[in-house]
Amino acid sequence: MSPVETPTLVNGRSVAINGDGTTTLLSFLRDSLGLMGTKEGCSEGECGACTVLIDSQPVTSCIYPALAAQGRTIETIEGVHEGADLSPVQKALVATGGIQCGFCTPGFVMTLTGLLRKEPNPNADEVAESLAGNLCRCTGYSQIVEAAMSLSEPEEET
Amino acid sequence: MTLIGNSIPRTDAVEKVSGKSVYGVDVGVLGMLHGCLLRSPVPCGTIARLDTTAAISMPGVRYICTSADQPDTRAGWVLCEQHLFATECVRYEGEPIAAVVADSREQARAAVNAIDLQIEERPGVDLIAAMADDPATDLVHPEWETYQPLAGPETDHPRHRNVAAQMSSDPDDVDLIFEQADLVVEDELISHRQYQAYIEPKSAIAMFADGRYTIHTASQYPFNVRDRVAQFLGIRPSNVRVVGHTIGGGFGGKLDAALEPIAAFMAKQTGHPVRIANDRTEDLLTCPSRENAVVKIRTALDADGRMTARELLCDMDNGAYSAESIWLASLPLHLAKGVYQVGPTRVISRLHYTNTAPTGAFRGVGGTYLYAAVERHMDSIADTLGIDRRQYRLDHLLDTGDTLLNGQVLENTSTLKTAFERLDEILPWDEANKAKGPYEGLGIAGCVWLTNPMPGQATVKVNEDGTITVITSATDNGSGALAMGITQIVAEEFGVAPEEVHITSPDTDVTGYDSGSQGSRTTHIVGRAALDASHKAKEQLFEVAAGMLEANPADMRIVDGEIGVVGAPGSRVSLGEVAATATWTIGPIVAAASYTTPPVDFNPACASGLLFPTMPTPTYHAHMAAVEVDPITGQIEVQRYAVAQDVGRAINPIGVRGQIQGAVAQGIGHTIYESLQIQECRYLERSLENYRLPLAIDIPTVEFVLIEDPDSEGPYGAKGVAEPPITLVSAVIANAVSDAIGAPITKIPITPEDVLEALG
Repeated sequence: MSPVETPTLVNGRSVAINGDGTTTLLSFLRDSLGLMGTKEGCSEGECGACTVLIDSQPVTSCIYPALAAQGRTIETIEGVHEGADLSPVQKALVATGGIQCGFCTPGFVMTLTGLLRKEPNPNADEVAESLAGNLCRCTGYSQIVEAAMSLSEPEEET
Repeated sequence: MTLIGNSIPRTDAVEKVSGKSVYGVDVGVLGMLHGCLLRSPVPCGTIARLDTTAAISMPGVRYICTSADQPDTRAGWVLCEQHLFATECVRYEGEPIAAVVADSREQARAAVNAIDLQIEERPGVDLIAAMADDPATDLVHPEWETYQPLAGPETDHPRHRNVAAQMSSDPDDVDLIFEQADLVVEDELISHRQYQAYIEPKSAIAMFADGRYTIHTASQYPFNVRDRVAQFLGIRPSNVRVVGHTIGGGFGGKLDAALEPIAAFMAKQTGHPVRIANDRTEDLLTCPSRENAVVKIRTALDADGRMTARELLCDMDNGAYSAESIWLASLPLHLAKGVYQVGPTRVISRLHYTNTAPTGAFRGVGGTYLYAAVERHMDSIADTLGIDRRQYRLDHLLDTGDTLLNGQVLENTSTLKTAFERLDEILPWDEANKAKGPYEGLGIAGCVWLTNPMPGQATVKVNEDGTITVITSATDNGSGALAMGITQIVAEEFGVAPEEVHITSPDTDVTGYDSGSQGSRTTHIVGRAALDASHKAKEQLFEVAAGMLEANPADMRIVDGEIGVVGAPGSRVSLGEVAATATWTIGPIVAAASYTTPPVDFNPACASGLLFPTMPTPTYHAHMAAVEVDPITGQIEVQRYAVAQDVGRAINPIGVRGQIQGAVAQGIGHTIYESLQIQECRYLERSLENYRLPLAIDIPTVEFVLIEDPDSEGPYGAKGVAEPPITLVSAVIANAVSDAIGAPITKIPITPEDVLEALG
């Protein structure tokens, strides 16, 4: 990496991406950086358990080439807390009971974090639509949507 | 403040929402190697060539194993049929044929692809072919007569040829009553498979040292894995230690062993820890999904519209090997009447071997389609008689003292009527019917469900700092049975905060037997064991505290983590002080208890092949759905969904809500989204790209009312909660869609094509 290149940041820490063109971002995060909170559920970008934020955009890291993240800002579940505290999205999920087995939960936290950064006051339909790329088999989604809505003050109730 | 009935957050919520929980797939062991399986690419055939010569010399490859190397054993949950690897023939697509162990997963995968496999393929037997029970149909297991039940030959059950289990109940006079009937109504329901689709695919790590195996896995039922590994390897169960990790969903799909026996064998053969992990397609193709089935039902009616006799015939697809399904073939007997008064009823259920992946338990098991069949039929009868569908149900509801077809007298049956009445408070039937627009429909149904009675055990340890450890191999599959239920029960007993109670991970070396997270049993059974153990531990604490406070043990009480003397507010000592004093005087405070539901009386002469004879700790339920159908696209929208559920006692209402909401979502998935079709014995849907799970936009917020009719044996009255709310979903949605389109729905799932075809 030449010194003028923008550093790749993972949870605020500068990292050097290793791996070839076939290495996924998920594999880099888990196997090289030991960030095990990002989960692999399907390896084809369908379930969303591997969702991380790249420049604040939710992406499925299981089908995202690690090298394509070069010079970008990556946030994983390990980086969303605020100091020793859970983030607002995390606290809300705990409070509404939107967590069961928890395997999909990091992906939901990342997607909702990205959504609320872009649209701080979504309505319930917008929340549900933003979750179209995240599968949860346990909860039936309602308590997850309610968690996001507890942080939102939409103009019109839906 | 009591913790019982309190919606506190689950104790593992922070860990899970922070991504810190260690699931089965997150476990690694230094020095481990990676296994990968060669699975049959075809459903049925003879292995003509299996040459590993090229594969063994591939980079990183340590070992390759085929049936030629395997122990000469047969294993199975009920009936011992299976080898580790297919021998001469393959019986389903995905059946293990060989395993490669290599330094990396990629190297193992590459070597699997380099194995030279040739199979002479034959047409497989599917459910329709098996149902004909024609002597000309190929046998899935030509050697079926040599198979032995695990519990010994004297426990063998009715089975023949491709029928792995048959349960028959044929009371007197059924045919006579049908002949004399004023009216006979007949229906049929076809139900397809449903994949559990937990988000964490299966994996396992096995180690071998000094004659013993240690298995790390995220199993719902670690003792079952222990027993299956022992069977496959031909060793004693005590030579296998299974250590459980956080489970990324199970829903019944992680009750039996899957990769563990092969990983254990490879660990022994290589001398290294071996990890095997399914990719999603392997997982889908080989998971013991909810079985497909065909249910035929007919009822004789008299001039007053009473159901004077019934016949229910159920043909269930067992897949190539039988697992738990042999027991589940008894279920049609218990559900054939539904929750209604019906005369003599003939029930025959047959579980057929086919050349498809073995089926198994999925939340609600056969209850989902059996209640769909029975409750669709109730609508048919009411419609034929011109009686309101809800009213007809209420007029014939089971009442106190009525029995199931096994002769079991149901307790507190009047709760059924309560459930229908409370349901009407949420979604009033008459008003909703009047308000219906075009292509809108309503469905209603009721059911009885069991709480799994199988044994469990818990040990309660009071630590010297006043915290409590519960040692058990019960598993929390995500339901909150441990992180809410047992935690709150034990915390309540000791008057401590929930975070002061720690529950260990499962370890079959350490704890008594536990029957796994199935049938909503954990809070009820293990909660009761933990409650009893807590009482025993408290007795020990009170003895010691009485000595410290110079009082009578009978006068001791725990309040807010302190032990005090009744009537003497100043005379108190903390739990920790007592536990520490005890440790250094009489020894540490530890108490254990076991529990299993007492046997339920029934009539053993009611049927042959009744392996799962009763419905213990019954609960009662009524559901209602309002749907709208798009006549152009055939899409179904579930507008409202309402549940009235008997829970005994809700230990944690927010947790109970999560179980109801989640179960209904899975039921909606099964009924209108999740197509798992079998064509020429192969699944058409093979990944989460085309196996369509419900999304957040598909699922309404379920409206519910809890009926708290406490069970005399359950902890604080708790009965099973998590399984029953799925059992009526297909029934009420199929009824609602039929109502919306004015044509009967006879298949689950109901696809848009089915809707358009029914509309004509």
